Amino acid sequence: LDWEPPIEKYKGYIREVQFGKPKSEGGRGKVVKIGGQRALYRFEDPQPNPPVVTFDIFDIPMPGLPKPIRQYFQDVMEDPCEWARKCVKDFGADMITIHHISTDPKIKDKSPKEAAKLMEDLLQAVDVPFVIGGSGNPQKDPLVLEACAEVAEGDRCLLASANLELDYKKVVDAAMKYDHNVLAWSIMDPNMARDLNRKLIEAGLDPNRIVMDPTTCALGYGIEFSINAMTRLRLSGLKGDEVVNMPMSSGTTNANGAREAWMVNKEWGPREYRLPLWEITTGITMMLCGVDLFMMLNPIAVKTLKEIGKTLTT
Amino acid sequence: MPKKISAMDIYKLLPKTNCKKCGYPSCMAFATKLLEKEATVDQCPILNTPKFEKNKKKIIEMISPPVKEVWFGNSEKRAVMGGDEVMYRYQLSFFNPTPIGIDISDNLSEEEIKNKAKEIENFVFERTGEKLRLDFIVIRNASKDAEKFKKAIEIVEKETKMPICLASLDPNIIKEGLKVVKSKPMIYAATKETLNDFIRVIKELKKEKDVVLVLSSNNVKELKNMSAKCLANGIEDLVLEPHTYPENIAETLDLNVMIRRSAIEREDKYLGFPILNLPINAYYYALKHECPMSGFFDDKDVVAKMFEATIADALLNRYADALIMHGTDIWELMPVLTLRQCIYTDPRKPQAVEPGLYPIGNPDENSPVILTTNFSLTFYTVTGDFEKDNVRCWLLVMDTGGKAVDVSVAGGQYNGENAKRLIEETGIAEKVNHRVIILPALAASTRGDIEDKTGWTCIVGTRDSSQVGDFLRKNWDKILNEWREKNRS
Ligand code: B12
Ligand code: SF4
Repeated sequence: LDWEPPIEKYKGYIREVQFGKPKSEGGRGKVVKIGGQRALYRFEDPQPNPPVVTFDIFDIPMPGLPKPIRQYFQDVMEDPCEWARKCVKDFGADMITIHHISTDPKIKDKSPKEAAKLMEDLLQAVDVPFVIGGSGNPQKDPLVLEACAEVAEGDRCLLASANLELDYKKVVDAAMKYDHNVLAWSIMDPNMARDLNRKLIEAGLDPNRIVMDPTTCALGYGIEFSINAMTRLRLSGLKGDEVVNMPMSSGTTNANGAREAWMVNKEWGPREYRLPLWEITTGITMMLCGVDLFMMLNPIAVKTLKEIGKTLTT
Repeated sequence: MPKKISAMDIYKLLPKTNCKKCGYPSCMAFATKLLEKEATVDQCPILNTPKFEKNKKKIIEMISPPVKEVWFGNSEKRAVMGGDEVMYRYQLSFFNPTPIGIDISDNLSEEEIKNKAKEIENFVFERTGEKLRLDFIVIRNASKDAEKFKKAIEIVEKETKMPICLASLDPNIIKEGLKVVKSKPMIYAATKETLNDFIRVIKELKKEKDVVLVLSSNNVKELKNMSAKCLANGIEDLVLEPHTYPENIAETLDLNVMIRRSAIEREDKYLGFPILNLPINAYYYALKHECPMSGFFDDKDVVAKMFEATIADALLNRYADALIMHGTDIWELMPVLTLRQCIYTDPRKPQAVEPGLYPIGNPDENSPVILTTNFSLTFYTVTGDFEKDNVRCWLLVMDTGGKAVDVSVAGGQYNGENAKRLIEETGIAEKVNHRVIILPALAASTRGDIEDKTGWTCIVGTRDSSQVGDFLRKNWDKILNEWREKNRS
């Protein structure tokens, strides 16, 4: 009996998005690319870019971090620049995500200007590309993102995020004016991701600057909704839907919020083991649904995801 | 969906009497349910009469999934694998949660085998009201000694009800094992070189229908030819094992995808069998080689178990229909079993519990009334916490269409109208002598609406249900007294 590998023909492709710029083009050096696939599996067509991990750091020490994770960053949490350096030097971060959480009026209400000052320092501290995040406050975030985008002009960062709850036009304008990409964040529904992309494009955003975040629910907390949403978006993209053929990002860090991960509970064994496994499982599941960019926190999980990710693209 | 049959095709073969004995309003409705795998042919009594024998057979053939459902085990416990129809769970649902088997070496002492087997059988991790368990025991002929192998089989069958997988690459050893085993076992495994001998052994013992045979090769074309040979010899319960490479797991994932795609999208019936993968290879690999976790923990066994769980998770995401593992630590199996539970939940059904009034810990007329939602995860998390913390209360479970607290607040199902109906239907007002409801902090924004519609006073509680015990101990008496003060006049 004969057998042929079942290789599919795809009409579409996934757009490639670039972070950072080479020195020759006036950037800071490191360039990272995601997306660019022309098939679902590597046996159909070589996958051009391995999955990329961007390390989460915060502009103020995070008291809520569980101890098994905090132990790695205890010594640098007071200084975001040192924190970034450690992620790059010790843990091989491809990128850094800075969450400007202290800009939240309920936390420290730091001004966009102060956030931009920190952003400048961070850009000096490490040469990897950045994801720039706000605090999650819909009134403040567009202002913070705009101010940071300005000081990072030309560095092709990822502004996180544009969604329907805030003034996304401001985020789009900042991205186009200062040469950045935009994270389009929607909730576990492919149609909502499509609507959001359409609105962002109508507002003037170059579709080649969009990364989609259809929301990562942690393992055991709705991951099956994320599995469906990501799978459907990736398949639609490859089938030729040019409104959703963008690479995808996952807030894998959410996994650390699951009780099975962080809670001290003798019946469940040491949480030093559970915490990384929860993040690994969440990340790997998203990776196999087509996610390209991973926002992560635990060095063990980061290393594992990167190594497994490499096998998928070689 | 790749299947090209419709409910109409099935309907044509049904008795068309619309007698409703199947539990559905019409033959057409029954046909639709059959197609969606929500009903089975046996539910129609008329179809079971001799007159309809042929039609019944045709229907079964029509609706039988492209990946055959295969089971092993005994009358009390079965490990069921495969039965899938789609490539992605959103297209329908995946069926038969991947059975997970644990390896026991026949080199262990009688006592050790007994204890290990018991440990595997008794393992349980409870989540959202479901008891997640291990599914079978692999008896591995590490000793190369047929007597030890037989002894181990006898011990496991005597001590447990677990389905058994007999593991040896030597057909003669398997033959000895088959002579003593009482249940229908899975045999691991025949290779290209040994397949003829395995077929001969099985035929000699007349066990063609009483075993599941695993075919092992990393070459899909080879697997296809092996399966054809088995089918020609009357051995029809097959499982495909395309080799598990922990150091390059993408290789295995590709093989899994190619097999599954051939079966479902290319309708290749020789590859339409469940896939077995071996995360246990990752465990042993990590004991001897570097793996991603190596630098982080001193204990090699911990590293190996973490790596094993990671590989199991990857495989579960790409069509593993059965897994063989080594580790039985709860921390290792929790993520694996949780992932399995998530992947195999039916996306067509809300994950909900019955709404209504649930008394927790013998509450009385002074006990607090607490309002939560009927999403199963929420319900079981909340009741689990309350039980642990000895909370006494009347738990009102609101019908939010199976949505979590914050989800139903955002979606508008957590509202005053709904709360009012729930209060009326449960008659909670007669059970307590106060009118105070505690809300989850995530539902704080609905407080005004609920107070307006129900006339009850709402108090915003904590964010997490694990803090409710503490909250009540500190505040409930005060809340109750204040409410009584205010409502005396
Ligand atoms: C999974 C999920 C979904 C799933 C739904 C799964 C389900 N069956 O509920 C889907 C994909 C369907 C979904 C849809 C939507 N979602 Co949604 N979803 C989530 C997600 C990721 C997890 C929710 C969850 O499972 N929580 C776990 C359960 C156990 O928590 P819980 O029910 O709150 O219970 C806890 C506490 O409340 C407390 N508790 C419970 N009862 C009680 C009682 C008392 C007295 C006390 C004191 C405490 C207490 O203890 C429990 C354990 O900790 C959250 C984000 C997150 N939280 O991580 C977003 C989230 C809730 N969703 C959100 C939104 C906006 C939506 C949509 C409106 C999107 C849309 N526009 O369509 C829809 C609404 C759908 C609807 N209702 O019709 C937002 C809500 C934002 C807001 N606050 O306004 C969130 C927060 C995401 C976000 N960051 O934007 N969602
Ligand atoms: S029991 Fe059979 S004949 Fe009667 S309605 Fe159902 S399918 Fe039709």
